[in-house]
Amino acid sequence: MSDFVVIDCTLLTRMSGLPPAFNLRELRDRIATCSENVLYHHFCETPLRATFDDPEYRNDFAVWARNDLADKILAEKLGIIDPYEIESMADLRRQVIDIIEDRMSELSPWVPAVRPGLEFFFMEALTVAFETGVRVSRPADMADAVRAMTNGSIFFHYLEALKRPPIHKDDFTAWFTECGPAAEPYVKAIAGMDVYFKNLPAIRDSLYRALNAVKEAEH
Amino acid sequence: MNHILSEYESIVGSTSIRQLRHLGDRLSGIRLVHVNSTREGGGVAEILGWMVPLMQDLGLEASWEVITGTPDFYRVTKSIHNGLQGTPVQLSSRDWALVRDVNAAWAEQHRDTLKEADVVIIHDPQPSMLIDFSRNGRSKWIWRAHIDISHPYRAVWKNLQNIVEKYDASIFSLNAFAQHLPHPQYLIPPSIDPLSEKNCEQPRSEIRKLCRQFDLDCSRPILLQVSRFDRFKDPVGVIKAYRIVRKVAPVQLILAGGGASDDPEGNAVYQEVLEASQGDDDIHVLLLPPDAHRTINGLQRLADIVIQKSTKEGFGLTVTEAMWKGKPVIGGDTGGIRLQVVDYRTGFLVSSPEGAAHRIRFLLDHRRRLNRMGDIAQEFVRENFLLTRHLREYLTLVCALTRTGTDRILYI
Repeated sequence: MSDFVVIDCTLLTRMSGLPPAFNLRELRDRIATCSENVLYHHFCETPLRATFDDPEYRNDFAVWARNDLADKILAEKLGIIDPYEIESMADLRRQVIDIIEDRMSELSPWVPAVRPGLEFFFMEALTVAFETGVRVSRPADMADAVRAMTNGSIFFHYLEALKRPPIHKDDFTAWFTECGPAAEPYVKAIAGMDVYFKNLPAIRDSLYRALNAVKEAEH
Repeated sequence: MNHILSEYESIVGSTSIRQLRHLGDRLSGIRLVHVNSTREGGGVAEILGWMVPLMQDLGLEASWEVITGTPDFYRVTKSIHNGLQGTPVQLSSRDWALVRDVNAAWAEQHRDTLKEADVVIIHDPQPSMLIDFSRNGRSKWIWRAHIDISHPYRAVWKNLQNIVEKYDASIFSLNAFAQHLPHPQYLIPPSIDPLSEKNCEQPRSEIRKLCRQFDLDCSRPILLQVSRFDRFKDPVGVIKAYRIVRKVAPVQLILAGGGASDDPEGNAVYQEVLEASQGDDDIHVLLLPPDAHRTINGLQRLADIVIQKSTKEGFGLTVTEAMWKGKPVIGGDTGGIRLQVVDYRTGFLVSSPEGAAHRIRFLLDHRRRLNRMGDIAQEFVRENFLLTRHLREYLTLVCALTRTGTDRILYI
């Protein structure tokens, strides 16, 4: 079994080059043609972005629908999408467009719009990842390692990992699985967590508590 | 005063500092030059004042150069600055040529520094033409716009755009400020320095002294707006909101600002504010000198609620400063204030004096909520809007520009 190499990452946001959307039709059209990086950013990278809010919805499209378009129904439908449960970005795009088109059809011929200043800006990001020099050799040491991790490390190993092969598996689970049957309680502890509404510090806290509980039970 | 990175550890935590050190290790020895147009005064000089020493502390060969020119150069670049912010200004080809000549002469004097640099970051329009005279084949040039150029006066932007297009990347504070450019446009919001005079902890005795100095009654609620006397900050609207609240609560209002004396319009607004506040001893209009950082800091700590009722705003760092002191903010629904003030969480967004009055009354009547919102606001600033985050994003950008790779994730 190889060591768990702790990676950290930082995010650099940039403009996608797409024009902003002032109404629901423009939002739909831009989502249909934007790159997967843009879609990924607005769905998955939001926890790592500097913000003053901890919104009830985890993706930017739902937040925009709720706060700026003032369309609570659309916000609810977009807000419940869990991008990590969807196989591919193409599927995610299709699902989002379906929801928006359904809503447009319900509201037709009216197209909800926002005033200038509230438009949706399409962005993407570059993630710079680097080794921290920290390595974990034993499953029992992971709880303390998690507690000392930056938000970037938690994002990289727990959320970002779900979109890397092996798809749908975070790095902790993948490593514990590799550690063999003795580490199975750790796999189970993580599998029982629902982090959908949590920000990164809260995810770190949940992971630490789950892993530490297994460690304490072992001793 | 220059600080080293370890001094911030007790504020932002050891993990944040460690992360910066890891990034710094990857960039050790990189020669990075910042160029702006003033060593003192203004937000850009303030940022460079802390950023360059911290970059050096992390192992980068960072330096800060200041372009200098004739009074005419400053007159023209001030007009360019105003034009970028939307003011219609007339600039002749001679004016642009003057800026070019000053850039050329300065580039000649600093040829070695600029030619040896791996990364050159040019702040705002004044030194932007240096790229034509100093670029070597391998260096990366970044243009950093600190101002709101979302609605520039077209004639000015057209000229500047031709220059900025030559850069490898540009940086804007907010997505709304970005422009159409043929290179990557990165978004790096500004930040505050928690150890600066404006934001550092202050002893209670120093804060209490302000009560005596400005004849404030510390047993009654204090409302505060810190801003230049500028129509876009709507100080008269703040007085109107205060008067509505004053009918039912014994509040006091402080309007603290500076810089009116050398700004004809600012002076006119200041006179309007004095007139609007006449006859009310509970309105304190304070015209403060530009270096009154500790006074501003103390007033923000003294206030119960901070107001920033702007009708137009860039990022609005005074909002960030107030939040860092654990105060909820009642802010105008505009610019960067919209990013910072979230209803019922860090304050309230308002669009009228009546709206501001309504929210002030609500907060005064819900003290526990007021305190809770202040605590939340402070934590958001700690997590996202202190200089360590700002520095991290600059380092990430330098990593991105000095390494090759087109994937979404760059492993360094």
